[in-house]
Amino acid sequence: MSTWHMDDGLAVRYADGELNPTLAASVEAHLLACDQCRSLLAPRVPRSRLDRVWAEVADAVDTPAPGPFERLLRAIGVHDHTARLLGATHSLRLPWIAASTVALLFAALASGETTRWGLLSYLTLAPILPVAGVAVAFGRDGDPAHEIGLAAPYSMFRLMLMRAAAVLTSSSALALVMGLGLLDDDWTVAAWLLPSLALTSLTLVLSSRFDPRHCGAAVAATWLVVVVATNLREPSLAMFGGAGQAGYLAITFVSVVLLFFRRKEFS
Amino acid sequence: MIEAVGLVKTYGRGRALDGLTFTVGKGVTGLLGPNGVGKTTLIRMLATVLAPDEGELRLLGRDPAGDRLEIRRRLGYLPQEPGYQRGFTVFEFVDYVAILKEMVERRARHDEVRRVIEEVGLTSVSGKRIRTLSGGMRRRLGIAQTLLGDPELILLDEPTVGLDPEQRLRFRELISHIGQDRAVVLSTHQTEDVAALCNRVVVLKAGRCEFEGTPEEIRALAEGRVWFSAEKSGVLSWRTGDGLFRNIGPAPEGARLAEPTVEDGYLLLLGGTAAEAAA
Ligand SMILES: [Zn+2]
Repeated sequence: MSTWHMDDGLAVRYADGELNPTLAASVEAHLLACDQCRSLLAPRVPRSRLDRVWAEVADAVDTPAPGPFERLLRAIGVHDHTARLLGATHSLRLPWIAASTVALLFAALASGETTRWGLLSYLTLAPILPVAGVAVAFGRDGDPAHEIGLAAPYSMFRLMLMRAAAVLTSSSALALVMGLGLLDDDWTVAAWLLPSLALTSLTLVLSSRFDPRHCGAAVAATWLVVVVATNLREPSLAMFGGAGQAGYLAITFVSVVLLFFRRKEFS
Repeated sequence: MIEAVGLVKTYGRGRALDGLTFTVGKGVTGLLGPNGVGKTTLIRMLATVLAPDEGELRLLGRDPAGDRLEIRRRLGYLPQEPGYQRGFTVFEFVDYVAILKEMVERRARHDEVRRVIEEVGLTSVSGKRIRTLSGGMRRRLGIAQTLLGDPELILLDEPTVGLDPEQRLRFRELISHIGQDRAVVLSTHQTEDVAALCNRVVVLKAGRCEFEGTPEEIRALAEGRVWFSAEKSGVLSWRTGDGLFRNIGPAPEGARLAEPTVEDGYLLLLGGTAAEAAA
């Protein structure tokens, strides 16, 4: 038991938060052990301060810990409520990202093989990932509060665009990192980018009328069929050449325009 | 709160709503009708999720076609299948809906989330994951999110389905509590719910409003038309525990008049064939 006790002056200064940290710490250590000083201090602590501290504690206890993706979004300056909405997207959560990584890894490793099919499989897979991610993000079970959200004032179109952008960004970053790491770094490393944009925006437009999961599946299947059909005789990267890229750009443009005109269908 | 005139909604060749007209004021209003009569379609329409093909609808004094946003800000909605993300905690889920309701400022939002969780009595499980909750608790959670922002109109689609009798009782308590100073509209196919907690009823039949009034008025429809007798008779009859038949309709021979219930009145409204289907 200590030999010293707090006097009135010290208690008031402590209650007002005016002590330097070292002194405050030793006062706190003493308070834990000393009834007498606690009862001296109690009436001097302003009620409003206690309420504020308590509210902070309660908030810290209730508030869910954000996932890694949500933390990343906040770190790059996204509002915390927006990060929350995006972080709840299946295809932006860890299991999905992990699965995508594994799939891309296999494709990228295969492209180390000398045949053209190896590189083709990587370029084919990379645009499918965001399509699948978008389909999962907007399917019936994609949103934690789907039907409730439809009747909420928040714009579902805006939420959808933000989610699509986030999915596209995360899967593109993944594909790019993988490509740069495992492939020879020439133009082919990013040749999937426009096809990604084209297929994803096409999926979004179709989703304004049909179930997003069906749209995603249909777009991905069509893409696979086209790739296989054009390369069946002799595998080549012609699909990813200049003319092909111009085509993907055109598809993207038309889809985005259509999407804008059909935006009412989403809310 | 709600004024509907001649609402029509068509799906393919079927008409879910076929010229529905009714009004809703403060207090708890029940939309009563057998399954598949267009109740969910109607609730979704009142929630501004669906637009009517024909007819006029005014919600909170506004036109949902033009003022949808303003209506949504003053509306709470619990769909029949809210599609909870089961990995969310109670707090996370309500917080998520609060963001969709444009509550942007974090501290104020969290205070509001805590308030509605407390109001439905879920504070002690606020940090629990939704998948660990009982059915009754999940339904309370559903109610909690409708209370965010203290809306003037709350819509509940079949809120008592799947609850056991005890949960149902406590749930009715909660609904009548929240219906004290605002309009609550709930759909149900159970006359017990209506008798226990609604001060107004709209009976739906084949996409139209068959009856609009108080539960007592529905009950009164069957006044003098329910009988106990030894023989089967009437539009609808069934054997009760003491061996007598309870008949709805004209008096059979040697019958004794019975005290009607809301259920009796409802069955009479639905008429013979529909009554059999409902029973
Ligand atoms: Zn002391």
